[in-house]
Amino acid sequence: MAGDLAIAVGGLWKSYRKYEQRSHTLKERVLRRAHRYEEFWALREVDLEVPAGTALGIIGANGSGKSTLLKTMAGILTPDRGSVEVEGAMSSLLELGTGFHPELTGRENVYLGGSLLGMRRHEVAARYDEIVDFAGIEPFMDVAVKNYSSGMYARLAFALAVSVDPEILVVDEVLSVGDEAFQMRCFERIAQLRTGGRTIVLVSHSLDTIRSLCTSAVWLDGGTVRERGRAHDVVAAYLGEVHATASHDIDQSPDRRGNRWGSGEVEITDVAFVDGEGAAVGAFRTGEPMTVRLHYRATEARDDVVCGVAVHRADTLVHLFGENTRGAGVPLRLAGEGTIEVLIPSLPFLKGAYVVTVALHDATMARVFDWHERRYSFLVFENPDLPTQVGSVHVPLTWRVSASTMAV
Amino acid sequence: MGIPTVGTAPPPRARPPARRRLERRERVQARELTANLVRRDLKVRHRGTFLGMLWSLANPLLVVGLFYLIFRFVLRQQTAPDLPRPDGNDVPFAVYFFCGLILWNLFSNSAANGTNSVVGSGYLLRKVYFPRQILPLSSVLSALVEFGFELLVLLAVIVVFVGPPDLHLLWVPPIVGVVALLSYGVALLLSAVTVFLRDVAHFIGLLLQLGFWATPILYSLQFVADHEAVLRLLKLNPMTGPVVSFRNVVLLNHGPDLGLLAYSLGVALVVLAVGGLAFRRWERLFAEIV
Repeated sequence: MAGDLAIAVGGLWKSYRKYEQRSHTLKERVLRRAHRYEEFWALREVDLEVPAGTALGIIGANGSGKSTLLKTMAGILTPDRGSVEVEGAMSSLLELGTGFHPELTGRENVYLGGSLLGMRRHEVAARYDEIVDFAGIEPFMDVAVKNYSSGMYARLAFALAVSVDPEILVVDEVLSVGDEAFQMRCFERIAQLRTGGRTIVLVSHSLDTIRSLCTSAVWLDGGTVRERGRAHDVVAAYLGEVHATASHDIDQSPDRRGNRWGSGEVEITDVAFVDGEGAAVGAFRTGEPMTVRLHYRATEARDDVVCGVAVHRADTLVHLFGENTRGAGVPLRLAGEGTIEVLIPSLPFLKGAYVVTVALHDATMARVFDWHERRYSFLVFENPDLPTQVGSVHVPLTWRVSASTMAV
Repeated sequence: MGIPTVGTAPPPRARPPARRRLERRERVQARELTANLVRRDLKVRHRGTFLGMLWSLANPLLVVGLFYLIFRFVLRQQTAPDLPRPDGNDVPFAVYFFCGLILWNLFSNSAANGTNSVVGSGYLLRKVYFPRQILPLSSVLSALVEFGFELLVLLAVIVVFVGPPDLHLLWVPPIVGVVALLSYGVALLLSAVTVFLRDVAHFIGLLLQLGFWATPILYSLQFVADHEAVLRLLKLNPMTGPVVSFRNVVLLNHGPDLGLLAYSLGVALVVLAVGGLAFRRWERLFAEIV
């Protein structure tokens, strides 16, 4: 395996036997000698390479083989044909609280569960305070977890899960459980692991999660790789298919697919959402600074370029705002390669998923160089430091109450 | 955890050089996980009881006390029909019985719990990767720890009621080692087979009952010395050698029966090899079937 690959999957086939009725006992074995079963190929000829330090998302409909692929990468399942090679210490996070024993105390379960997540004893010990702190159940750490409320149990399991720090992390859906604070913390943790050069493989039904957290993605369909590439493109292709097949779906506008068009003299090569610390992340809190960073490549020098950015809600596609360099009075002279940054000192959006359009065109908009319609997305989580508001945007305001002179 | 190359279709690629470091990390992780599982088994066993871990000492004490009463007052069997101790001290039958019993329990607990270890941990197998043989191994280790407590009680009882042991005690580790190897082999084999054939879990209970009577625990080999065929049959039982030898070195201050012990070691190694092969061959299917 090349030195920079974390996971290499080659020609992977995996089948399950669907027994009509699995016979476990001798009597059944003897009475019905032949097993009647159907062979079901969950994965057929899957090839994948995950470069070290990148995040791969796996998407696809139910039963498309996502979890099987993940479990095979994690070594839980063994391929029927093909190979899985892993370079680096791997932890798999397929459910919360794996191996927790109800009779054991919170503390004992942290150590037991930690070792099942591939953590060494001293590693758990080093992070123990952090785990307890995050779970927020310090007084209960010496109580058997069977006496925990389900919320406490989930908090502890979650706190342990986000404390793992392997070279390679394989995650299945666990992100989608838990409340807001958990999810935000989880995103932060994964973003942190990514900036720390860790490799991440993520299965999620939330396409926004995949778009926000992953560099690349594969789309599994019936056990084979249907599409692979940059996360945004794969998600767009998947959405296109889903919308094409789901005829009853309300929103059938073709541009929901995340179209891209333009003449290409000046190209947008990458778009990143950068947080206050300068890290490219996919999730923010309301009120935090966010920078939209565009990378461009101009095959010829031009001074008539206008760059525009617009944000829509991902669920309703409501256009929340848009601005371009012409309206802002910023002249652009683009040549070679470079970046354009839009600095938002305080993100006004409330919690939810947002999609972003970026475009390069000329002053009259008669000529479009590169238009990426709603191809990028980020998530916003509630900011506990701000007063709770509902809707799409945060409006800083104050209330004033005065007694009416008419009142008694 | 690093995953070894698996599958057959494409030829295996060259082994990356960083492998060695990973294997070591993996080994350490596996050791810690084993220790944690053993710790869990032991803690859970007595959790919620008033005496807690003290039960590990109290239980065998109560057992030996009960035997004493039964043999003394009900069966009126006082001394053991075996080799005499060099110092001429009498050996109460209860102590004689208890001595063989704890070694048998080591084997019996390992085999019974080991058999269920894989089937009983389906929820782990489906969610995390770890070397699967950790499961039967931790069953054997848990039984070994319990045995340690029982051995302490036994030694105390011997010192108080029989007399001091002598240097033959040094034979205890190798004898226990043979039993542990045999237990691990049986646990490996049966835990793997049970995944495909649940009946084994029921059979093993029956077989262990049979094994108890087919091992000279409640009687001595001298007791059946007149019956050539029975004696030969008993000597085929790989637990006979360790039990006889254990009693000789701990209780009777004699040497072990080296011939029988060597035979047991041979059987243990064969069972271990067969069990290891079966386990390795089938472990890939555990997560799908359990």
